Parts: sequence; structure tokens; C-alpha cells
Amino acid sequence: MPSETTIRPADAVNVEAALERARHAVDLATSAGADHAVAQYGSARSLELQQREGRVESIEESRSASIGVQLWVDGRYSSHVTTDLRPATLAKFVTDAVAMTRLLEQDPHRRPVPRALWEDRADVDLDQVDPAVDALGQDDRLAICAAIEDAARADAAVLSATAYHSDGHVLFARAAADGFEGTGEHTSLSFGATVSVKDAGDKRPEAYRFTGAAHRADVPDPGTIGSEALERALARRGAAKAPSARATMVLTPQAASPFMRRVLGAMQAGAVQQRRSFLEGRLGDRIASEHLDLWDEPHRPRSGASRLFDSEGMATKRRHLIAGGVLETFFVDTYYGSKLGWAPTTTGSTNVVFAGGAGDLESLVSGVDRGFLVAGWLGGNSNPTTGDYSFGIHGHRIEGGRLTTPVAEMNVTGSYADLLPRLAAVGDDPEPWSTFRSPTLVFEGVDFSGS
Amino acid sequence: MKTADPSARWLHDFEVDEPTCRRVLDAALERGADRADLYFQRVAQTSLSLEDGIVSRASTAVDRGVGIRSVLGDQTGFAYCEDLTEAPMRAAARAAATIASGPASAAARGVGVPIGGRGLYPVDRGWPDVELGAKLAIVRSVEERLRSADARIAKVSVSWVDSDEYVALVADDGRAASDRRPMAVLRASVTLVDGANVESNFWSLATRNGLEWFEESRLDAFAKDLIARTSILFEARRPPAGEMPVVLAAGASGILLHEAIGHGLEADANRKGVSIYANKVGERVAMEEVTVVDSGLHAGERGALEVDDEGNASERTVLIQSGVLEGYLHDTISAKHYDVAPTGSGRRESFRHVPLPRMRCTYMESGTAEPADVIASVKNGILAENFANGQVQIGAGDFTFFVKNGWLIEDGKVTAPIKDVNIIGNGPEALSRITMVANDSKLDTGGWTCGKAGQSVPVSQGMPTSLVSSLTVGGTNAQ
Repeated sequence: MPSETTIRPADAVNVEAALERARHAVDLATSAGADHAVAQYGSARSLELQQREGRVESIEESRSASIGVQLWVDGRYSSHVTTDLRPATLAKFVTDAVAMTRLLEQDPHRRPVPRALWEDRADVDLDQVDPAVDALGQDDRLAICAAIEDAARADAAVLSATAYHSDGHVLFARAAADGFEGTGEHTSLSFGATVSVKDAGDKRPEAYRFTGAAHRADVPDPGTIGSEALERALARRGAAKAPSARATMVLTPQAASPFMRRVLGAMQAGAVQQRRSFLEGRLGDRIASEHLDLWDEPHRPRSGASRLFDSEGMATKRRHLIAGGVLETFFVDTYYGSKLGWAPTTTGSTNVVFAGGAGDLESLVSGVDRGFLVAGWLGGNSNPTTGDYSFGIHGHRIEGGRLTTPVAEMNVTGSYADLLPRLAAVGDDPEPWSTFRSPTLVFEGVDFSGS
Repeated sequence: MKTADPSARWLHDFEVDEPTCRRVLDAALERGADRADLYFQRVAQTSLSLEDGIVSRASTAVDRGVGIRSVLGDQTGFAYCEDLTEAPMRAAARAAATIASGPASAAARGVGVPIGGRGLYPVDRGWPDVELGAKLAIVRSVEERLRSADARIAKVSVSWVDSDEYVALVADDGRAASDRRPMAVLRASVTLVDGANVESNFWSLATRNGLEWFEESRLDAFAKDLIARTSILFEARRPPAGEMPVVLAAGASGILLHEAIGHGLEADANRKGVSIYANKVGERVAMEEVTVVDSGLHAGERGALEVDDEGNASERTVLIQSGVLEGYLHDTISAKHYDVAPTGSGRRESFRHVPLPRMRCTYMESGTAEPADVIASVKNGILAENFANGQVQIGAGDFTFFVKNGWLIEDGKVTAPIKDVNIIGNGPEALSRITMVANDSKLDTGGWTCGKAGQSVPVSQGMPTSLVSSLTVGGTNAQ
């Protein structure tokens, strides 16, 4: 019988056992008549704690395992996943999946990944597993939550503070009928807090602060995270909308990451092929100011996003995405690469790094005469086809190089195509643990809607 | 209490029997929790998508497991497992039990007769019994309708997801419930190219009805609507930035209710005192003509629900009655906290998640104004018609919704189309600024999904044509 606090992921105890299960699923598929098959076995365990008012609010423990198969049958293709791993049920699931695939149409662009794209992958130790994360006991977790909550409640204006802790361990193994084999494994530790504070009238502004890493030694002090959540909530008191204006926009590193990540969506070959990318036809063009210099770094050690092969099994490598404002590459998988007649690159980003910046938030704000610091977003969306965006914001006014009154209930609206060339400055202060490592960014001439 | 036959069919899908359930529940109570429940779930899903005229993706997925919960006051211990044999279930139950730290509670009682089966999901044949060819035919026919609808069509993609979800809940007090929930979502996107300009848009249809719901006339209307939503974008502009009156078109505009008031009335946030609506029950929050409801009882709608994911019967819950705040949406924990009956609003994404108070089908009832008079009353403002998404901060009350399509209103008349702007407001302020409600309330049939605390659940929303006298609209400032 499994012990109550499993250290390792659910079912398979190690990547070798996981690989054995993936190979077995490939065998099931080829025995059922598939011409080619890829199988991935994944397994994970996690433990989450929430603490409020000095007591545990919830404990959630999970252990999970699944098998996914991709099938090529007679020039037809399909993919399937199940968590019902009982041997007889799994065998029937795969057999039924092969039969279903025969009912589809042939698709000449769905081909197995060519051997040349996977066989020479890097042999690097990504250092993604920390035994100290697996060794965490309930007392350690409670101590982390207590330190966070104590710091997050340290003001009389606090109405409610909740501390969160989660740790986990994920492993997967992938095997294919053509001999491809690969595995991956990482631990994760994350914690943070949400804080609600009393404001004028019925308003109870809320803020959060979270951190996370693969290694325990790489996360900041829990008390610091609690204090930062509290500071953020207090900073939002008295927020009001400012008059509509065209002004300079400074994005904190936390706000810049989701904002800039949307640009990568338009770099997917699938978006280009389906005519839903504002970057279509722009390869080699200057799409942003010379301050934008982006790299994808899949072999960055101790990051949960690092990987030696991508979601199709293609070997990964460091790649310049945008060089001094010039679009250098698209994310090209084998399917859309075949449709476009383009050579495959990789299926998507891993660790995105901004190069060449200088300065932190404070120094970049000091250079702005009139504008807004955006600290966070509320709703909104962007249109990848046209590059148009419109988002709700909260943050502070900037007047004479200093942060003044807090603002909320405002929108920023524009187009990435117009905005990226107006990137005026890039900092060097990304969150150390983040996988989309955006620093502070400064854009000029942005439309703000308010009163 | 009547006791169910231990060989009852309703648990057979999971190959468990009543004595096993009771032993697992006893393990969940071994350290003194007040109560415990088991939530068994099996979901089988089929997905298809068509791109460039052929099926580009086809997949199936099966997910099966049990979520085990021990509750002590408002504290929750939870664990799940996918292996439904007794040993791993008991191990998971003992992990959930650690929320408490005393001696064992009383043993679980015999399992009662499950509730459920009010006919809210009118399906002739379950989706697993519908042949793949029939699903492919729907996808293909929509693709053909779209491809031939406009000479500027460059790309069409159509996708289909159907799912057959079966849940069974067993609680330590003998309560039992089961529910078989069908769902189908048809989604399409088109890209039109006109000279150097490229525009795309998407839309979806979602239902808990069966195959027969996807009739020709419905597919025709869906395709025509999507082409209209997309071709209008070539003429659309951005509105001026700032505060202005906003007319909400009937139907999907219910997204305003979902964000501006619905989330703020989910009782977990009020129990913790973090909602702007905490302690406001009984107060006037809107004019007399405003009545807002959250109901699970609209047969066939995406937000329909027979029983919630805690085994409580779903119901019609009034949130605002004639302008007065009536009550909250409760799960079992918050209902106990407030000493009221649960509202059947305890929902979860899957057996991997704990239940939380959630919305089902949220809408405003019809008022008395004529829709045309609502538009005619606006000097300078916008009409918001189609939406992509929304969000809310329940403490500060600020909320947003993103308008994909809309119109400028000038001198009481609809003039130029607008696109892709975010609208932001404050919940209580926006409610107090609803000044006209028309007589045309309707539910939207789009595939809306609500996210909260990392969990997604299907929802519906509806609205009559109505006027909010002032909201902040994203747009362009004069140079």
C-alpha cells in the first residue's frame, strides 16, 4: 500500500519505469495496425496548502498519471490520452483509437518527425530535480505558510490574508516506433500570498505576490514574499481613474511578461499559415525598436521550462527570436512547416530572455516626465490577426520622474505593430525565477482611457 | 432513509460498491473530520477540427477518478486518485483526513438512493453512441457554409468537442447523487482578406442537447452570423477613449452581470470578507426594474445542472430582486457558515478539484422598455454586441469585458462599427447606473467558460437590451 506522503510521482517510480510504459503503449498501437506511433507517459505528484487566520484552510494532495498516444494509420493521423491505465482498458483504448483513425481523411502534411531533427539532441544536465523539494515535510510547509501569513498581515488595514504553498514532482517519458526515446523530470516549489485591505467606502483592494523555482535554494525568503504582497495591496488604496491621455507607459517586470508573451503567439507558424498573425511576411523586418533583443534558451539550468526536446521530440537549441528589433525566426512545427514549405524550428518557446537592457524600475521611472506605471492588468484581450490590443490596468501616475497617485479602472488601447517600434527603454531587472524573463519596459505614446 | 441496492448500477461505471465506499469514507473520517464525501467522475471526450478543407486534428480522451474530501468546519482536506481500487482510495482518504487531528468520527452511514434525473439534458442518444461520421458531417457542413459565404474568405477552421460526463457522489451521511451530463461545443473561425487588410473572428455554439439540436437552420444562422461579425471588421474603427453611455445588446451582454455582480456574490468571498458586496444583502443596489438570477434549471443550456458537484439539487437562485440584493451563491461550507440552505452552486472542474460556489446560467430578466428606445436615448455612446472575455477584482469591484464587435451611437442612431476594445467599470457603480431595461431578455448559446481559483466550469449568460449610463471605454485620444 502506498504511504501517505509519497515522495515520488504517482505510479512510475522513475523515468526508466515511465519509459517502459511508453514503449508498451507504442507496442499496443503498432500491434493494432498503426504504421507509426508515439507514446508519452506522464506522472506527477503535488501537495498544496492554503493558510488563513493562522489555520490551515485547505490541504490538497494529488497523484496523477496518464498515457498519450499519437497514431499514423494509412496516411491518417490522430491523438489520444487516457488516465484509465488498467491493462485491459488501456489495450482496448489504443485499439479503438487505431480503428477511429481509419475513419479520418489522409493528410499529407502529418508525417513523423524526421530522424535528423531529433537524433542529435544536446546532452546537458538541466539540473531540474532538487531532492530538498521532495524531502519537504508537513512541518516545513506549515512554517513557510506561517512566515508568509505573518508578514502579509502586518498592517491594521488587512481584512484577509491567505498564504499558499505548493510543491510537486513531474516526470515523463516519450517513445516512438522509429526509435525515438526521451525523458524529463523536474521538481517545483512555489508559494505566495493574496492580501485584501480596507479602503474608502466598501472597497477592499486585493493584491498577490507569488514565486517559484525548481530548487528550494532558488526561491526567496517566504517572509519577503508576504511583505511584498502586503505592500502591493496597500499601494492600491485610494486608486481612482485619471483623465484619458496619450502618455508614456512603464510596465513592471510582472506586468511586462504577459503583455509581451502575446507577441510570441503571432510567431507561431500555425498562426501564419492560418492567416491569423500580424507578423505574417515580416521575417527579417524591423518590427520593434532596436531595444528589443529576445532569445529563447531551452538549456537554461534549474528552470522548469527547460527541455532537451520539444513537444514533437525535436532537439532544442538556443535561438535568437528578435535581434535589435528585427524578427529572426518563427516557431515552426513539422505540420505547419510542411504546409508553408518552411524548415521546422521548434514548437514553441521555453525560457525567453531579454538581452541588452540596463537599469531597474526606479531608474527607468525617473526618466519619465508624464505617464503611467502599469503594475497589473484586468481583463482585456488582443487580436493576433491585426495586432490590436485593449487591456484594463492598475498602477500609478508618473509625474516628474516620480510615482504619484494610484490609478485603476483605466484601459490601454492600441496595436502591437505600432507600439513595438516605440519601445524606448529596457531594464535588466527580470524576476530571477521567471520563464518569460521580461524586465521593466518603457513605451512612448500609449492611449490611456480614463475619466 | 431508504438504502440503495449495493449492486446498484449507478456505481458500476466505477467498479466500486457501497461497502467499499463506506470503508473509504471511514478512512476520510479517521481523524475526526465533520463530514466526508467521494466524487467519482468519468469523462469521455471526442474532438475534431477541420482546417484547409480536411480534418487536421482528431482526438479522444478518457479521464476517470475519485476526489475525496474531509471537511472540518470551513477547513478542507482533499486528495484524489485515478486508480479506483480500494487501497489507493483509502490512502488518498487518509491524506484528506489530515485536515483534522482528533479521534475518528462516527462511521459512514448506508448509502441512500441517488438524486438526479430531472431531464435538464434532452439528449436522444449519448455522444459516445453517436457515430463519428455524424459529427464529421456537422463540422464539414459548417465549413462548406462558411467557405462559400464570401469571396474574401482566405481561411476557415471549424472544431468540435463532445463530452459524456458521468458523476456519482457518496457522502458519509448517506446522501447520494448521480448525474450524466452531455456537452457539445462547435467552434469556428474565419479569416477574410481584402486587399492589404486581413481580419479574423470566431464564434461558438454550446449545448447540453444532443445531435438533433444541430439542425440545418441553426447551422445556417451560425455561419451567417460569423461572416457578418468578421466582414464588418474591415469598416470598424476604435471609439474615442473615455467615459460614455454603453448600450448592452440582448444576449451575451450578460457577461457584465457575470463579472460586475456574479463573482462578488459567490459566498466563499463573502465568508472571507473580501468581496465588495460583503454584508450588503437586503440593500438596494439597482433600480426597481433590475432582477438578476443565477439558475441551473434552463434545460439544454451550457450552464444547466441537475445536481451540483456536492450532491445538492440545483435551483433557481435570485441574486437581485427588483433592485435589492437578495442573497449569495452557496456551496455546503458557506451555507453552513451562514446557516442557510445550499443553493446547488458547489461546482468543480473535475475530480481533481475541490468544489467552490460558482455560477451556472446568469441573466437579467426582461424590463419594460422597447430596445429601439434604449438606443434612441443615447446622444453619444456605444452599443456593445459581441464579446470575447471579461474579468473582475471582487474586492475593489472593478470589472472588465472585451468587446469584439459593437457600434458607435450618435444622436440616438447606430452609426459606425467598432472593434476590439476593453470596457472597464466598477460593479456597484455600474449596477446603480443601469437606467433602462428592455423587454427582450435572452440567453446566449456561446461556449462560455468561467475560470476561478484555477478551475474552469461551463456557464451561460443572458441579458435584455439595457443602458449603463457611464463606463470607461478603451479607445483613441485626440492628438
